[in-house]
Amino acid sequence: MSSLNDAKKYPAPRPTKGTLFLRSFLPWQLLRFLIINLRMTVMIKKSHGRKVSDQHKGKVNW
Amino acid sequence: MKILIMGAGISGHTAALILRKKLSRKHQVTVISPNQLWNWIPSNIWVGVGEMTTKDVTFDLKKVYKRAGIQFHQARAMEIYPEGDATHSKPYVKAVSTEFDKDGTVIEEEYDFLINATGPKLNFGATPGLGPDNGHTYSVCTADHAEETAHALKNLIQEMKSGKEKTLVVGTGHGLCTCEGAAFEYIFNLEFELRQKGVRDKAKLVFLTNEAELGDFGVGGLHLKNGGFVTPSKVFAESLFVERDVNWITGAHVHRVDESTIEYETLDGKKDQLSFDFAMLLPPFTGVPLMAFDKNNKDISSELFNAGGFMKVDADYSGKPYEEWGPEDWPKTYQTKYKNIFAIGIAFAPPHPISKPRKSANGVPITPSPPRTGMPSAVMARLVANSITQMIKNKSDQPTYEGSMSELGAACVASAGANALIGSAVSMTMYPIVQDFKKYPEYGRSLTHTTGEIGSAGHWIKKLLHYAFIYKAKALPLWWIIPE
Repeated sequence: MSSLNDAKKYPAPRPTKGTLFLRSFLPWQLLRFLIINLRMTVMIKKSHGRKVSDQHKGKVNW
Repeated sequence: MKILIMGAGISGHTAALILRKKLSRKHQVTVISPNQLWNWIPSNIWVGVGEMTTKDVTFDLKKVYKRAGIQFHQARAMEIYPEGDATHSKPYVKAVSTEFDKDGTVIEEEYDFLINATGPKLNFGATPGLGPDNGHTYSVCTADHAEETAHALKNLIQEMKSGKEKTLVVGTGHGLCTCEGAAFEYIFNLEFELRQKGVRDKAKLVFLTNEAELGDFGVGGLHLKNGGFVTPSKVFAESLFVERDVNWITGAHVHRVDESTIEYETLDGKKDQLSFDFAMLLPPFTGVPLMAFDKNNKDISSELFNAGGFMKVDADYSGKPYEEWGPEDWPKTYQTKYKNIFAIGIAFAPPHPISKPRKSANGVPITPSPPRTGMPSAVMARLVANSITQMIKNKSDQPTYEGSMSELGAACVASAGANALIGSAVSMTMYPIVQDFKKYPEYGRSLTHTTGEIGSAGHWIKKLLHYAFIYKAKALPLWWIIPE
């Protein structure tokens, strides 16, 4: 099957042992947990739309 | 005032709860949904590998609506009369009851505001042999489908334990599917389960997708700043597939599925076959079958819906070529030509895909349809609920809140193995969802707010979101503190 990419032979970057270890190393993942939550909070804050009137006010001010 | 919501999925249910909270009890909020159960769909992938059951991802809507003061009809909306007709002075919706003891009873529900949040029709019929009901493949689109899939997987694992080798295929069952992320999650949860059960060496895994390249996810792929480089999501996705020994076929449209073979075509025009022992292939979506009539009973469905059955809103449907696509094409208020009708979530008609449109060398369209599930659909629900609340207060027909998918971002957690210590998930944020090459000329998105990483922390977040969103959907105390 020519269209099938064989994962064993495909030249993609592979994680090192250190990278794999960190993916489940508890202290590191606890830190990542906090950082990811922070990122997601920022995303939520940025993604709740806006009042139409606010935008219009902005346009007038500009 | 009477606000009618068709559909009780993530967007419809969110809109109903917010409207009920914001409007006084003199206003009536009514939901029509054919399903008795609410389903936290993102966790269906865990049901599909046997990690959870239907009970864990669903709850009875009637009880919640009764407690919240929302009127509920378990019924399938069939026809909209936005101008009323000879028998109704007000606009109304005709629905058919799906309750066991009232099956087939016609319900006519008048409204002052209507929100269409009907979600998709799972169009398994688009590909012969696709789907669990009349075909040969499994699905995780509903909790019932996912349970059936888990049962089949359990039997397959038993066979593998007895030494048999099996080919498992996961992906999209049509060139125009969406939700590639769900297929991505399912194959890595499957891979994880097979490892846990000690039969990974007996399984050949193949991911079959309509994405032109891995990591497209129907949003044209992402670019991530990592280790001093800006790297396309293709590289990260391929790395994970290689690490977990999952083979893949990209740019594929499935023509037909029989008991053990998938016939497909790829973008280069080549037709091929793939033998399988187990396949979970997602269907393409259409809008649910809804019709609309004017006050003289003239069929105006084509004015309200596009050819795919999705409701037309304030988007640019001129059909401009890919080179001319822009962020302004995407709807902002989700208001239709009727000022008191809105469409949100999967029910609204997107102006065009987000990924680059492609056809195979034989002219078969193979392009992921734009995803508009999860966080964006709930955010749309909040925007529209806020607008309707203000429109009622201001006695206005102008929506007061807006948020286009080219201005909104999304946070997404894609599970890659359900275990607190050795499981993992890819945690992604992207901003904006639809690329804006005017604002971000190089990559179409902010490199600061478009991020991704894999690890156990992602799994913890996915699990936390499972409990938090089910708590919120049950409208338990302080539910509104939990954001969409």
